[in-house]
Amino acid sequence: MSNLAVLPIIIPLIAGIILAFFPKRLTLVRTLSKIFIISNLVVASFIAWLVFNQGSIILETGDWAAPYGIIIVADQLSILLVLTTNIVAAACAFYAPHSLTDRKEKYYFYTFFFMLISGVSGAFLTGDIFNMFVFFEVLLMASYGLIVLGGDKVQLRESMKYVFINLFSSMLFVTAVGFLYGAVGTINMAQIAQRVQEVDQQGILTTVGILLFFVFAVKAALFPLYYWMPKSYAVPNPVISALFGALLTKVGIYAIIRVFSLIFVHKIELTHEVFIWIAGLSMVFGILGALSTNNIKLIIAYNIIPAIGFILMGIGVFNQDGISGSIYYLIHDMLIKASLFLLAGTIAYAAGTSDLRKFSGLIHYYPFLGWMLFISGFVLAGIPPFSGFIGKILLLRGALAAEEIAIVIIALLSSLLILYSIMKIFIRGFWGEKDESFQPKSIKGRSAPIVVLLAFSVFLGIGAEFIYPSIESISKYLLNPADYINAVMEG
Amino acid sequence: MEFIISILAGVLFATAIYNLLQKQFLRLVIGSVLLSHGAHLFLLTMGELKRGSPPILTEGISDYTDPLPQALILTSIVISFGITSLLLVLAYRTAEENNTDNMEQLRGNENE
Amino acid sequence: MIFTVLIPLLLACFIPFISKFKHKIHTGVFVLFIPLLVFLYFIQFVGSGFEPVRHTYNWIPSLGVNFDFHLDGLSLLFALLISGIGTLVVLYSIYYLDRSEPLGHFYVYLMMFMSAMLGIVLSDNVFVLYTFWELTSISSFLLIGYWHFNERSRYGALKSMMITIFGGLSMFGGFSLLSVITGTTSIQSMIANADVILASPYMPLAMGFLLLGAFTKSAQFPFHIWLPDAMEAPTPVSAYLHSATMVKAGLYLVARFSPVFGDYEWFFIIVSMAGIVTLCWASYMAVHQTDLKAILAFSTISQLGMIMAMLGFGTKAAIFAAVFHILNHATFKGSLFMVAGTVDHETGTRDIRKLGGLLTFMPITATLALFGTFSMAGIPLPFLNGFYSKELFFESTLGLQEGMGATASFLVDIIPYLAVLGSIFTFVYSLYFLFGTFGGKTQLDKLSKKPHEAPFGMLVSPGILVLGVILIGLFPSAVNGTFIAHAAEAVYGGEVVKDVYFWHGWNAPAFQMSLVVVGLGAVLTATRTRWNGIYQVLPGRLSVNKVYDAIMARIDTYSRNITTFYMTGSLRTYMAIILSTIVVITVGFMLATGGFTIDFSNLAPVTVIELAVALVITVAAVGTIFANKNVAAVLIVGVVGYGVALLFVIYRAPDLALTQLVVETVSVALFLLCFYHLPKLKKRNESMNKKVVNAIISVGFGAMMTMIAISAHSSDWFGTISDYFIETSYSLGGGDNVVNVILVDMRGLDTLFEITVLGIAALAIYTLIKSKTRKGGK
Repeated sequence: MSNLAVLPIIIPLIAGIILAFFPKRLTLVRTLSKIFIISNLVVASFIAWLVFNQGSIILETGDWAAPYGIIIVADQLSILLVLTTNIVAAACAFYAPHSLTDRKEKYYFYTFFFMLISGVSGAFLTGDIFNMFVFFEVLLMASYGLIVLGGDKVQLRESMKYVFINLFSSMLFVTAVGFLYGAVGTINMAQIAQRVQEVDQQGILTTVGILLFFVFAVKAALFPLYYWMPKSYAVPNPVISALFGALLTKVGIYAIIRVFSLIFVHKIELTHEVFIWIAGLSMVFGILGALSTNNIKLIIAYNIIPAIGFILMGIGVFNQDGISGSIYYLIHDMLIKASLFLLAGTIAYAAGTSDLRKFSGLIHYYPFLGWMLFISGFVLAGIPPFSGFIGKILLLRGALAAEEIAIVIIALLSSLLILYSIMKIFIRGFWGEKDESFQPKSIKGRSAPIVVLLAFSVFLGIGAEFIYPSIESISKYLLNPADYINAVMEG
Repeated sequence: MEFIISILAGVLFATAIYNLLQKQFLRLVIGSVLLSHGAHLFLLTMGELKRGSPPILTEGISDYTDPLPQALILTSIVISFGITSLLLVLAYRTAEENNTDNMEQLRGNENE
Repeated sequence: MIFTVLIPLLLACFIPFISKFKHKIHTGVFVLFIPLLVFLYFIQFVGSGFEPVRHTYNWIPSLGVNFDFHLDGLSLLFALLISGIGTLVVLYSIYYLDRSEPLGHFYVYLMMFMSAMLGIVLSDNVFVLYTFWELTSISSFLLIGYWHFNERSRYGALKSMMITIFGGLSMFGGFSLLSVITGTTSIQSMIANADVILASPYMPLAMGFLLLGAFTKSAQFPFHIWLPDAMEAPTPVSAYLHSATMVKAGLYLVARFSPVFGDYEWFFIIVSMAGIVTLCWASYMAVHQTDLKAILAFSTISQLGMIMAMLGFGTKAAIFAAVFHILNHATFKGSLFMVAGTVDHETGTRDIRKLGGLLTFMPITATLALFGTFSMAGIPLPFLNGFYSKELFFESTLGLQEGMGATASFLVDIIPYLAVLGSIFTFVYSLYFLFGTFGGKTQLDKLSKKPHEAPFGMLVSPGILVLGVILIGLFPSAVNGTFIAHAAEAVYGGEVVKDVYFWHGWNAPAFQMSLVVVGLGAVLTATRTRWNGIYQVLPGRLSVNKVYDAIMARIDTYSRNITTFYMTGSLRTYMAIILSTIVVITVGFMLATGGFTIDFSNLAPVTVIELAVALVITVAAVGTIFANKNVAAVLIVGVVGYGVALLFVIYRAPDLALTQLVVETVSVALFLLCFYHLPKLKKRNESMNKKVVNAIISVGFGAMMTMIAISAHSSDWFGTISDYFIETSYSLGGGDNVVNVILVDMRGLDTLFEITVLGIAALAIYTLIKSKTRKGGK
C-alpha cells in the first residue's frame, strides 16, 4: 500500500526512459506521453484521495526504517502539489505538439519533460533533505535539457546564466545539508525537526536555516535573488516557459514552506519577520519589472515574482490563515501561471511578435483568446470570484491578525498593478481597430489545454468550498510539526 | 585539523566565487569546479576526520569513520561531474553561436 | 432572492445566441424583460409595513463567505432604482443603439452589471459584496471600452478601472480588517458589534480603507476624474451606470457603514468635507464644459458630493434628505442623460457651442429637459422633487451639532456657506445646459444633420422619469412613507419620521438660502460669458487629470528605469548582488542569534602531510585566478582535484578517493577537449574597483562558510545516525563496505536518481551537439 507513494516519481521516470529509445517516431511518442501523463494524473489523484481520507502515506524505501533510510512522505501538502503538477503537466503535454517544432520534439523533449515531472514530484514527496537535493538536481538537469532545446543563440545565452546561478545554489544546498548534518547528525527531515526542537534551535542552527532559505529563495526567485529568472523563462518555447513558471519556482517556495514550518520554527520572530520584508520587496520589484516591458512573455515571467512574494508573506505571518493563504495561492499560481505562459505564447504566435507595441485589435480575429486573457488577468490579480481571491482573503486576514499592516497595503497595491500589467496586454493588443490586412493563423489545438487550466483556476475560486477545508487541514497540520514528526518517526 | 580543512574549503569557495565573478566562460567553469570541491570538503569535515578506520567492516575493528558524509559526497561528486560536463559543452556551444566567450557581451535586450 | 440577483447574469449567457437575429428584431426587445421582471419582484416589497427580509445561500461556508442577502429599506430603494432605471435604459437603448453595433456584447455587459449591482446592495456578507463590487468595475470597464477602436474610450476604460479597482482593493483591505476585528463577515453583525470596532486601534485604518473605496466609486474629489472620461460609453450606459446606479455604490457603502462609524468625529469630518468639496468643485467645473455629457458628468459628481456630505452629517434630517435625494437624483439625472443622448442622436453632436434653439425642432425633448434641469437646479416649484431634497439639504446643513473638536466645529460653521455656493453653480449649469441646447439661436450650419424630434420610443423612458420627478414632487409623502423612510431608518438606526412639505414660510432659513441661490444663480447665468475668464485662473492649468496621467506615465518610466538599472543582463552583476545579499543577511543572522561557536576539544590532530596537501590545494586554487593560459588553468584545476582526492585518502575514504580520481581524470580530459575549441584565456583586465569588490565578496563568502562549518562542527548535541549504518551494514545490508551499502541499499533512491541525472546530462549534451551539426548542414 505505502509503495503507492513512490509511483508519481517512478511513472514519469520510466516514461522518460522509454521515450528516449525512439525519439524520432513522433506520433508514437506523442501518444505515449499523453497516455503516461494521464495515467500519472490518475494515480496521483488516487493517492491524493487516499491521503485525504486515510492520512499520510509514508514509504520507507528499501524497508530501511526512518530515520535511517530515505522516506517518501505523501502527506496532504505534498500530494496536493504533485496532483497540481500533473494537471499542469498534462495540459503542457497536450499543448506541446502544437507549439514545438518537430525538430525540438525529436531532441528528447518528452524525456526531459518526464524527468522534470519526476524530479518535481520527488522534491515534493521526499522526507529526506539530501534526497531533496538529488531531486532538485534531477529537475534542474531536465530543465537544462529543456532550456537549451533547439540551441538558438539567445536561448544558449540565457541558459548560461541560468545554469551558473542554479549550479551555485545547488552547491550551496549540498554544503548547507552538510552543515545541518554536522550540527544535528541526521538528514531525515522529521528527525532534524525533532532535534532542532530539542535544542530550541540554538547556536548555529538558525544561520544554517537561513542559508537553506537562500538556497530555496534562489530557486523560488525571491527578491533579490531572481535576476536569472525573467529572461530565461521568457526566452524558451511557451510550453517550456509554462512548465518552468508553474513548477520550478514553486518547488523552491514549497521547500521554504516545508523547512520553515517543520524545522526552523523556534525563532520565528527573527526569521519569519525577515520573510515578510523579502515578500514585500519581491512584490514591489516584481511588479515594477512586469510594468517595465512591452514583451508579453516577459510581463508574465516578471509576474512570477510578486506571486512568490504573496506566498512567502503567508509563511512570514505564520498563523493559520496566513499558511492556508500561502498554500491556496501556491496551487492557484501554479495553474494560472501555466495558463498565462501558454496564453502569452499563443498570442505571440498569433500576432507574430511578442512586442506589445507591434500589434493591436487582435480581438477581431481571436475573440476567444482575448477573453481568456481577460479572465486570466482577473484570476491573477485575485479579483473575485476567481481563485486568487480566496488566497488573498486568507493572506490578508492572516497578515492583519498578525498586525502586519505595511505588507497588506503593499499587497493590495501590487494586486492593482498586476491587473494593470495584464490589462495592458488586453487593451493595447486586443482592443483597437480591425486590421483588414492581417492574416490570422490557425491556433487550433492550443486553446483546449489553456481552457482546461483556466477552468481549474476558476473552479478553485468558485468551488472554494470543495477545496478550502482540505487547505485548512493542511495548514493546521503544518502548524503542528509534531504530527509530521510522529508520523515519520513512529510510522 | 577539521578547522584547517574548513578554512581550506572556505578558500576554495572564495577562489571559486572570484572566478564566477569573471567574464570568460573558462574561468566561470573553473569556478564551478572549485565550488564543488569546496562543498565536498565541507561535507567531509562534518563527519569526524580520521577517527577510526575506513568504513569497511573488518574483524576486530569497532571504530570507523563516519560513512554517511562519504556516501553523500559520492552522490554529489557524480552529480557535479554531470553538471560540469554539460556546462563545458554549453559553454562551447554558446561561444560558438554568439561568437564570444565574454559573459558581459551576452546581456541581451528586452524584445527577443 | 439569489435567483433574482443572478437572473440577469444567467440569462445574459443566452444573449449572444439571441443577438444573431438582431437584424430581424433588436436584441434589446428580449433583454427588456429581464430588468422588468426583477423590478416587479422587488416592487412587491414596497409598503408601509415593510420588514427586512433575509435569505442565506451557502457559497464557501468554511470561510464565512456566503450569499447572505439582506433586503432592508436601503437595499430595497437601490434594488428598485437598479431594476427600474435598468428597464428604462434598456428600452431607451433599443432606439439609441443601431443594429449594426455588436449588441450581444452590450447587453451581456449590461446584464452582468445589473446582477453585480443588485448583489452589492443586497449582500450582507462583506466579501460577497466586494465580489459584486469588482464585477461592477469590470462591467463598467467593458462598457466604457465598448467602442474600443476609439483611443478616448480605451483611455477612459483604463482610467475608470484603475481608479475604481484601486478603491475596491482598498475596501477589500478594510473588509478584511473589519472581519479580523469582529470575527464576522456579516455587515449586520458588524453593526451590532460597532463598539468592538470603535474600541479597536485599527478602526481609523479600517474606516480609511472603506472610505477610499467609497470615494473612488462615487467619484469624490480628487478621484472624480474617471467619471468625465467614462462618458465615452454609449449614453444609455452613462445614464444607468455613471449616474443612477454604479456611482451610488460608494454612497451605499458609506450609508451602510454609518451605523458603525457614525459616532466617530473624523467620520463626520472626512465624509462631509469630501462631499462638500466635491459638490462645490464639480458644480463649478460643470459650467466650464462644452460637451453636454461632460456637463452632466460633472453635475453627477457634484450631486454625489452633496449626498455624500449629507451622509457625513449623520443627523436624522441629513440622512433622510440623503436617501431622498438618491431617488430624486436618479430620476432627473437619468432623464437628462437620455435627453443629451437624444440630442446627440438627432443632431450628430453634443457640443453645446454648436447647439442652440432646438426648442423649435424638438419641443417634447425640450420640455423633458426643462423639468429635469429645473428639478436639478432646485427651483422652488411644488412639482419638482429636486427642490424638496435641496431644501432638506439646506436644512440639514444648519442643524449640525456643535460641541466637537476644533476641526469639526469649524466645518459646522462653514458648511452652510459652501452648500449655498455649490448650489448656486448647480443652478447655473442647469440653466446653461437647458438654454445652451434649446434656447438661443439655431446654428444649423454647424450640425451634420437637420435636427428633428426624436422617435416616440426614445421619448418614453425620459418621459417616465420626468413623470417620476413630477409625481414625487406633488406627492412626496407617498414615496416617503412607503420606502424612503424605511431606507433612512436602515441607515440611521432609529426611526426617522419626516414629513415633507413644500412651504415652510418665508422665514424658514432653508427657504431663504434657496432664494439666495436662485437670485445669485440667475445673475451669474445671465452674465456667464463675462466671468468665464475665471477658469483661466482656476483651475487654470491645475488639473487632477494631469496628476493621474503623470502617475501612469511615471509608472511606466520609473518601472522601466528601475528595472533596467539592475536587470542589466550581466551575470557578474547578478552573482554579485545574490552573493552579497546572502553574506549580509546570513552573517546578520549569525550575529543576531549568537550562532558562532568554536570548540577545540574534539578535533583530529594536525599532521604535516595534511598541511602540505592543504597548502598545495590553496596555492593551486588561488593560482586559477592568475592563470592566463588554457592548458595551465586546466592543469591547475587538476591539481586541486587530485589534491582533494589525496585528502580523501588521508581521511579514510577510499571509495571517494577512487571516484574522485576517475572523475577528475575524465574531467580534465573533457576540459582539454572543450578548451581546445574555446577562445584562449585572456588576461583579466578588470578595473581596480571591480577587483576589490570581487575580492570582498569572495573572501566574505568563503569566510562566512568557514565560520558556519566550524560552528556546525563544534555543535555536538547529538550522535549521528551513522552508527546504525555501521551496525547493520552487514547484518541487514549484506556488505562490508558501509559506504557502498548505504549507496545501493539504504539510500538507493539517491543513487537511482544520481544515475538519472547523469543520463539526462548525457542526453542534454547530445542534443546540444546535435543541434549544432544540424545548423551546420543548413
